[in-house]
Order: sequence, then structure tokens, then C-alpha cells
Amino acid sequence: MQFLTNFLTRRGAALLATWRIWQATLRFAAEALSASITPSTYNSATRAVVMKQIYFTAWQILPGFTAFAALLSFVLIQIVVSTAARFGLGDYALEVSMRLLVLELLPLITALFVALRSGSAINTEVALMRIHNEIDALESAGVDTFRLEFMPRVVGGMISVVALTAVTSALALVLAYLAVYGFQLWSVPDFNRVMGKVFGNAVLIGTALKTLAFGLAVTAIPVTEGLAAPRKLFMAPVSVLRGMVRLFFALMLIEVASLAFKYM
Amino acid sequence: MNWLADAGELRAFLDAHPQAARICADLPLRANLSVIENIAVIPQYRDNLGYNAAADLAWTLLTQAGYSDCAFKRDPDLSHEERFVAKLLRAAISHPPVLLIDRPGMLLPDCLYPPLVRTLLERMADRLNDCWIVDYRWNEPLYAPR
Repeated sequence: MQFLTNFLTRRGAALLATWRIWQATLRFAAEALSASITPSTYNSATRAVVMKQIYFTAWQILPGFTAFAALLSFVLIQIVVSTAARFGLGDYALEVSMRLLVLELLPLITALFVALRSGSAINTEVALMRIHNEIDALESAGVDTFRLEFMPRVVGGMISVVALTAVTSALALVLAYLAVYGFQLWSVPDFNRVMGKVFGNAVLIGTALKTLAFGLAVTAIPVTEGLAAPRKLFMAPVSVLRGMVRLFFALMLIEVASLAFKYM
Repeated sequence: MNWLADAGELRAFLDAHPQAARICADLPLRANLSVIENIAVIPQYRDNLGYNAAADLAWTLLTQAGYSDCAFKRDPDLSHEERFVAKLLRAAISHPPVLLIDRPGMLLPDCLYPPLVRTLLERMADRLNDCWIVDYRWNEPLYAPR
């Protein structure tokens, strides 16, 4: 009986802790979103942090990530085009490859890449800031750390994910055209007609919202997990581990929700 | 420069002067910013000063204190003395009405700190108003009688 009581107490405490951190994440995300659209939030210091975040999250990785996305897109487009041709469905190859790449794979891969590279770094930095008391030090100097350190990271992260997704998607469109029509320009009207069919207004708005949600998740979850880290140095890796696992589930949840909304 | 002797006096002082800028071991620098950025971020944030203007101001303070050599170092690369100066200037840059140096022995463990602190406060006199030091009672002989 004692064993059962202990087990249920432990599970209950774990469940409550999980509930509390998700609640904190949602509250932080809502506050960051509302602050990000309030012009008075921005000053010289916050703009500098936003720019720094975009530089580290998007600009630094742009050449390498673009090359990787181009290679992946090219290979997948070739597979879809050749498979469709083999089954006599060549007319649908362009549409299927664009749905697969631009609407689903590229936004998700971009979010995962940014999560691995910048999300983990943000989680570690915020956890160390909390453990070393740097947040209190800034607050005692009259600096609002939410406005200086955390909200700009969310804004920078969202802009970066959207920008990287846009660049890689544009590249995928060019590669798809080349794969299907070859190096000539007179099939552009046909290509535009298919693209118009794939990217309706509702689909475009849905994809934009999904990409923004990815951008919000890859920054808001690491920040809140870092802020929840206990003030012990050995807990920093645990904080990053928890943050990355929660981030992975959040990204998958957003993707599944978007798929269900689009195709069901 | 005035001094307080113990934690009780410190608490009473902080209650009476909640706006006091504190320099203490518990309030570290931002580890991933250089000394000049740590100082400049205060006017940049509080007064919406552009980075260049804020960094110029921070550089002026560092030169005035005689520690411009450490401007581009980050916290882990600083000596105790340089870290103390960076914290002092971060507090001084906003012209606080009251400055409180909390147990300087914890910030400057490897030197005879009263002359160093006195020299620094004299150099920065035009930036500082009311300066207080809280120290352990057994260090009383280091200071002028109250």
C-alpha cells in the first residue's frame, strides 16, 4: 500500500510539474507575442538583441542550410517526378512535390534545425543566466530582462524561422521547375497555373501560421525551460534536455495539427 | 565614503534607500557580454541611447577609471580588480543617488582593497553621489572612524 501511495505521489508531482511548465510556456508565449507587436517595447537595446538573434539564428547558417535544403529538395523532387512518371501520373508530379516540400517538409526541417542549433543555445544561456544570478543583476540595474533578454529572442527566432523557410521554399520552387520543365522559360505559365492550384489563400495563410508557430516554439520553450531551471549548476544539462524534448513534441504537435486541419 | 558594519545595518540601509545601486558578489556581470557592453547596455536600455553613443560613454568611464585595457574582455577572463571596476562602472553610469559596495573583500579577495576602492571612487567622483561600503565588523580598522 505504501509503495502504491509513494508511486502515485511521485507520478502526481511529476504531472503537476509538467502542467506548470506548459502553463508557464503558454503565458510567456502570449506575453512575448503581445509585447512584440507593441512598438513601445522596442528601444536601442532590444533592437540590438533582435538583430543579434537573427544574425546567429538565420544569417550565420544561411549558406550551409540553403545548400542542404537545395540538395534535399532536388533529391526528393527527382524521386517524386520519376516515381510519378513510372505510374503514368507525371501530370501530378509537380503538385505532389510542392505539397510535400514547401507545405510540409521544409518548414518542419527548418524549425528542427533552428531548434537544434539556436533553441539549445538559448535554453543553456537562459539556464546559466538564472543559475549565476545574472537576471537579478540586470533587474537590480533597472533593466527589465523580459524586454531586454527574452522577448527579443522570441522575435528574432520567429523572423529567422520564417525567413529561412521562405528562402528554402523559393529555392525548392526553382528546382522543381527545372526538374519538371528543364532549362527553359516558356513553361512558366503552366508552372504558375499548378502553383496557383497548390497555394490557395487558405493554404498560404495556414502555412504562414504554422511557420510562425514553429518560430514561437523554438524560442519560447527553451526560454521558459531555462527560467525554470533550479539554481544549481549541475541542473543546467537537465534543463536543456527537458527543453529539447518538450520542443520536439511541441513541433510534432504543431505539424500534426496542421496536417489534420489541412487534409481531414 | 561611509561604511556600515554588519548585515543588520545593511538591511536597515536598504530599507531606507531602496533605489541604492549595489555592487556585490551576488550580482554578476553578463557572462557573454564584454565589459564595455555590460556597462553600455544600461544607458542603451534605460535611456534608449544608440549602441555607439552608449559604448562611447562606457569607454569614457573606463578611461576615467584607468581600466580601458579590459574593455573587450568577458567576465571569465577578468581579474578580480577588473571585474570590480566593471561592476562599479555599470552602477555608476546611471548616476545613482546612492552607491553601496557590499563586502568588498568578497569582490577583491587578493589585494588590500581600501586604498584601491578609495582611489577608484575619487577618480569617479563626478559620477557618484553618496557612496557607502558595508563590511564585516572585524574590518573596522581599515576605515576611518565613524
